[in-house]
Amino acid sequence: MEFNISTFALEIINFLILIWILQRLFYKPLLDVIAKRKQFIDQSLADADTVRKQADEQRDLYENRLMLWEQEKQTALTALHQQLDAERRTQLDRLTADLEQEKQKAKVTLTRQQQEHQQQAEKQALQNGARFAAMLLQQSAGPELEARLITLLINHLVTLPEACKLCLQTLGGKKSVPVKVSSAYPLAPEQQQLLEQKLDSLIDSQVHFQYARDAGLIAGLSIDIGAWVLNANLKHELAGFAEITHDFE
Amino acid sequence: MENEFSFAIGPVVVGASILTTWGIMAVITLIAWLSTRRLEMLPGSLQTMVEGIVVAIDEAVTAVAPEHGRRIMPFIATLWLFLIIANLVGLIPELHSPTRDLSVTSALAVLVFFSVHWFGIRTLGWKKYLHHYLTPSPILLPFHIISEFTRTLALAIRLFGNMMSLEMAAMLILLVAGFLAPIPILMLHIIEALVQAYIFGMLALIYLAGAMQSQQLNSQE
Repeated sequence: MEFNISTFALEIINFLILIWILQRLFYKPLLDVIAKRKQFIDQSLADADTVRKQADEQRDLYENRLMLWEQEKQTALTALHQQLDAERRTQLDRLTADLEQEKQKAKVTLTRQQQEHQQQAEKQALQNGARFAAMLLQQSAGPELEARLITLLINHLVTLPEACKLCLQTLGGKKSVPVKVSSAYPLAPEQQQLLEQKLDSLIDSQVHFQYARDAGLIAGLSIDIGAWVLNANLKHELAGFAEITHDFE
Repeated sequence: MENEFSFAIGPVVVGASILTTWGIMAVITLIAWLSTRRLEMLPGSLQTMVEGIVVAIDEAVTAVAPEHGRRIMPFIATLWLFLIIANLVGLIPELHSPTRDLSVTSALAVLVFFSVHWFGIRTLGWKKYLHHYLTPSPILLPFHIISEFTRTLALAIRLFGNMMSLEMAAMLILLVAGFLAPIPILMLHIIEALVQAYIFGMLALIYLAGAMQSQQLNSQE
């Protein structure tokens, strides 16, 4: 409990020395390194903040660029759609025109085919008709029909055109003209006589008649006078009927 | 206690308290040198520990004296470190705490007394510093002066009385109750040592901060 002045004084000195030592050896170095670390951390934070700001700017720039690209893409898409629509319309118009043309062609072709079919049918009908008429006439032909054909020939000889009559009169100025008369059935004398009278009246020269049978004539006569042939028989008529069908071909 | 080791160098008597103080100073200096000889930006475990101690003290000082904390921090920090170790030294057998010596606590209290005026005058100047003794009224000047001495005396007596009574109580219980009974008393010794060191340092900090910021407080009023 006693107070010692030496201890008192030495303690003051000791404590002051301890403060000086710790200040030099402990506090200052530690506070310096703490301050340096704090400065380093602040600098790092500032750098990080700068980098973050740059990153934000880059991100904003990138987003703006993306937005611009998106707008350009939309514009290009709109233009492309317009071009596609125009091209589609053009192609559709062209296709419609082609289809109309093809339709017209098909119509014309169909019409032609129908006409051909109709002609073919008519030709066939004519051929059938000719064949039917030939068969019918061959079966129904006879001397009576031949007599009527002779009568019809004699009547036609009277009404011959003047030009024909003139040709028959001037058959080459020959003295005698051979006339060959072919018939499907034998001619009766009266029929021969009537025929000779009519021909003699038409021809100025002397006429020599020769009579022959030709069953191919079916019925009727065929008279050869030089270069002239007068036909009044069914064979000749049917041949003329058949020639009509050749006109269609 | 009269049988403690001491020697004299001329008129100066070096007692056990001074020798213990030198030993504490040597230990603190050694730890400080070892912990700060290779300081790194990326600290190791020892550097982290000492940085934690210094930062905690610095923050405590700055909290009380925000504008002048860095200036008085070495004084307050040294007080805390020295008193913690000095108070705990008594736990080591054959050693006594220097703070159970009234001469030591008086020396520390006187250092605080002069430090208050030193830092006050350096911060505010003679005129402004002495003016605060006249505020709020010159009538209070004697009380201010008495307060300066009594609080210094209280600092010295408080620390000395607590540490001396603690050691004496532990010794008496050891004598009366045997070997195991003093263990709770030793735990109490540790707590009391830390609390007394904290109180002494905190009071010193408050006195210093009050002296350095008294003019500013008066201006704000």
